[in-house]
Amino acid sequence: MTKNQRLVYIALLASQAVIISLVERAIPSPFFFAPGAKLGLANIITCMAIYTLPVKDASKVVLIRLILATLLGGTISTLLYSGAGAILSFIAMLTIKKLRFLNISLIGVSATGAVFHNIGQLVVASWIAQTWAVMLYLPVLSLIGILTGIAIGITANYLLNHIEKLHYYMNLQAL
Amino acid sequence: MKAFIQMLKPGDLFIIVLLLMISFLPLGYFYLQQSGDGDLVAVISLENEEVQEINLSEHEEDTVFDVDTPDGETNTIEVSDGSIRIKSATCSDQVCVRTGFIDQVGQTIVCLPHQLVIEIQSQEPGQQSDVDVISS
Repeated sequence: MTKNQRLVYIALLASQAVIISLVERAIPSPFFFAPGAKLGLANIITCMAIYTLPVKDASKVVLIRLILATLLGGTISTLLYSGAGAILSFIAMLTIKKLRFLNISLIGVSATGAVFHNIGQLVVASWIAQTWAVMLYLPVLSLIGILTGIAIGITANYLLNHIEKLHYYMNLQAL
Repeated sequence: MKAFIQMLKPGDLFIIVLLLMISFLPLGYFYLQQSGDGDLVAVISLENEEVQEINLSEHEEDTVFDVDTPDGETNTIEVSDGSIRIKSATCSDQVCVRTGFIDQVGQTIVCLPHQLVIEIQSQEPGQQSDVDVISS
């Protein structure tokens, strides 16, 4: 893979992730009983980046998505929350994927990402509120997170298997 | 459905169970902390100012006393066997009286017309009550 091809691929993934998170923000949350819970559709792209790119480039995709999505419709406080969530979940997903002996598919990786995203957000929230009692909200959020994480994992699995251009890029990378 | 089961590897089930356990960790931690040896303390406050603290765990005999508001209204409070209630009140809606006895940490009796709140808190022996948890 040449340098330009890699750049284009990173840019493609990042822009898709930005668009998806903007569209998701426009949809009213289906989880009206749990404020703060969301589908986490942008996690599809993070999963695909982790599975198709080296760690260094996948982290670039995540960082670009974070900054652009904040600039296009967020505030500093949402950057704090989603930044902590995204970075923690990215590290957790990489670690889980590295543990090969556990034999984990994309579904498990994506569910881990969802739960650790919530943990990261709530840690920042309890730091701002100066009380650990905020963590009591974790079970509600992570139950929903595990369910949506499984759904996102299935989606990303189908995408990885069925998008032909993806195989083209993966072949390029192998060269 | 069959395709989904094939997609889901045993490792996934393991990791999902592990995640569930992690997510209930704070709940268990706070529960253990709450159910410690702390004494139950009923804090009576009037117009956001604490007027009286009653240690329910050490209280033995039945007591009945009045709390008067600056407007001349009265709430009669009864403490009995580790629980507390508003026995009678001169307010219009009587919601506080109908709440009945409370004896668990976190329970409250509120008399809105008189701005009187009774809250049960947990207190470590020999220690003053902590700052309240404020949530927005």
